[in-house]
Amino acid sequence: MTGLSLVHAGRPARGMTARGYGAWLGVLGLLLVWEALAHVVSGAFVLAAPTEILAYLVEDRGLVTRALGVTLGNAALGYVFGNLAAIALAALALLWPRSERIVTGLALLVYCLPLVATGPILRVLFGPGAGPQITLAALAVYYTTLIPLLVGLRAAPAGWFDLVRSYGRGRWSELVHVRLMASLPYLFAGLQIAAPAAFLGAMVGEFTGAERGLGVLTVRAIRALDVDMTWGVATVATAVAILAYVGLGMIARRFLRDAPPVILAAPASDTVRDSGSGWKAAIGVTVIALAGWALAFWVFDLNPFFAKGPMDVLDALLLAEDAGATRGTLAVALSETAVYLLPGYFAGLAAGAGLAMLLVLVPVIAGTAMPLAIALRSVPIVTTAPLVVLLLGRGATGTIVLVAVMVFFPTFVACLHGARQAPGQVLDVFDSFAAGPVSRLVRVRIPAMLPAFFAAARMAVPASVLAVTVVEWLATGAGIGSLMAMSASLSDFDMLWSSVVLVAAISALGYALVGSVERRILRVYAPEQLT
Amino acid sequence: MAPDVTPPPEIICSGLAKTFDGRTEAVRPTDVTFHAGQTTALVGPSGCGKSTLLRMVAGLEAPTAGQLLIGGMPPAETLQNAALSIAFQDPSLLPWRTVRGNIALALSLARRPVDDAEIDQLISLVGLDGFAEARPAELSGGMRQRAAMARALVTRPGLLLLDEPFGAVDELTRHQLAQDLPRIWEARGTTTLLVTHSVTEAVLLSDRVIVLSPRPAEIIADIAIPLDRPRESGIERSPDFGDLTDSVYAALSRGMTLDRPPLAAQ
Repeated sequence: MTGLSLVHAGRPARGMTARGYGAWLGVLGLLLVWEALAHVVSGAFVLAAPTEILAYLVEDRGLVTRALGVTLGNAALGYVFGNLAAIALAALALLWPRSERIVTGLALLVYCLPLVATGPILRVLFGPGAGPQITLAALAVYYTTLIPLLVGLRAAPAGWFDLVRSYGRGRWSELVHVRLMASLPYLFAGLQIAAPAAFLGAMVGEFTGAERGLGVLTVRAIRALDVDMTWGVATVATAVAILAYVGLGMIARRFLRDAPPVILAAPASDTVRDSGSGWKAAIGVTVIALAGWALAFWVFDLNPFFAKGPMDVLDALLLAEDAGATRGTLAVALSETAVYLLPGYFAGLAAGAGLAMLLVLVPVIAGTAMPLAIALRSVPIVTTAPLVVLLLGRGATGTIVLVAVMVFFPTFVACLHGARQAPGQVLDVFDSFAAGPVSRLVRVRIPAMLPAFFAAARMAVPASVLAVTVVEWLATGAGIGSLMAMSASLSDFDMLWSSVVLVAAISALGYALVGSVERRILRVYAPEQLT
Repeated sequence: MAPDVTPPPEIICSGLAKTFDGRTEAVRPTDVTFHAGQTTALVGPSGCGKSTLLRMVAGLEAPTAGQLLIGGMPPAETLQNAALSIAFQDPSLLPWRTVRGNIALALSLARRPVDDAEIDQLISLVGLDGFAEARPAELSGGMRQRAAMARALVTRPGLLLLDEPFGAVDELTRHQLAQDLPRIWEARGTTTLLVTHSVTEAVLLSDRVIVLSPRPAEIIADIAIPLDRPRESGIERSPDFGDLTDSVYAALSRGMTLDRPPLAAQ
């Protein structure tokens, strides 16, 4: 399986070029428009002007700096633990190849756990302190490091392994001479994506009742309807996320002597040849997940009031007297969420793919749009959620837009890259027939784009579920995210655990569903990505 | 050069056969002996199974039937003793190592001390002077192929397996390599197996040409090449050479008329 798509973001120009000046002028113009707009709508309590944000940050710099320090510390610890876990899991899968499907399956399931609910649960388990923040930061990063790393460890051409074996050397030499070096770009790509994600995890952890941190300030700002503070905190968080991403990219460039690769989307983790083994793996993962869950309770001897095992959830959903009511509540919440999630998901996919196609027709803009989109893609949802809620309200529009934005950037980056991957010789053939740009787009670039599009669509499933539950929790007061928040504050742990199980299962199923469509597409359009 | 050349082995295949996935028959049961110190070319149409035969000798592919002995030992032991080298059509250079680093890799994989002087000598021999510290990405296709040849030769193998080693090389370089490289393995008396599409190359380089049928491979002709060595430039235009290539072409044509699955089905 060599299906991980990588793209090089390109080296920045050394001197300041005309385009560089243009970009700065563009930013300046944007700030001016923003400033003016903010003054026009100043009575509406939605938009803080850049000068007001700056004023807030200067005035409350002590508070913001302390909070930032706390969040950064937790994120850094989570980042280290999460990535170490990813490396350990990759090593396990490598040493014992048969375990790989179970490892990736379990990893996906854990990745699909809604942070919104695992946060409060971890808060109860850990009590006060930084435990939940660090754990959530680790949970937010390990999957996006594990999957590319696994691909990277096998990404080398078969000839390299033949070479090692032709000298009579075994797996250890393969690992040292080929796999480790070949996986470095993939590892760095994962580590780079993980940096902003760890920051996001730490902030969500702080929402659950921490005492300090940017997440705490965000919640306080939203509750107080403090527009300047909301925008100020969001600005800091966004800046930190982008800086972390760019900084890791610079470190990667030093190591790799090349522009850092950017992960577009991890490949289908279970490239099944026959669907039968896919089912077997899914059943294996479910059984092990349930057993591990039950075992954890037994080993750690957790308080049964808040720690619910598989049997408790089964009881709450099927056997208990009020099981019908529980199912009803969950069904209503899930249908509310679906109304936000599905339009946002599909709108994000359509907008991402659509804009990519448009830019392929106008390649001049594409060169500038790509690095911008890659940078914006790294902005964690939590930093923008309060802003979208302020701007578009607590209703459906804001939530749908947020989900769409979350899906849009990765899809756009992946599709643009995919469309550019169109084989040059095929395009030359089209040129020789004097085919127009639309014909080239429809017959060559869109087919070339499909694998990247579907990979993005698959990875967007857990991302959009995370987005929708966070917004529901923070703002809308409807849907499964809100139900989880309510259950946590009302100590209705049966409901909370049931929601967690349902959301994780639906998320993983959605991922698998898109993955199966993807495999059908790849079989035709990119058979080399299936092994 | 250092005297520690591994003695050239004789390779005996008895009933050697390979079937993939229990369905696709790649090599029919084959009995053949490749003589020690000789260069044998395997010629056949695309996809006929000649590379599979070579990979079985290299120990990279397990036969489904039959026996294979290299110098009286199974291939696994030959591998363990690092007594063979293989060069593929794809140069398979590690992109993060320099030319020198890639050649040195073969020595360290073969658990031999890295001898910089010998590496330099080989780099010069394959015409890569000045590129020892270049990385594969900075080289042309032909230069990469030459680096791969140097890597295959540096361990002084007793058995050299070449799978279309000049496939990606331009015509001029190909000609030059075909002149230069055999001198190295001839001087060492290496047993060499060469898989190629090119009839001219097969006759020019080898002591014996084995013609294989379309897949599944079986031997349809075994032609001795009694041309003197070293073979000078221009030998291709001699009448003897022409007769030999004609007989190889004739055998290949015979093979195409055998009752075989159509090429499209492969």
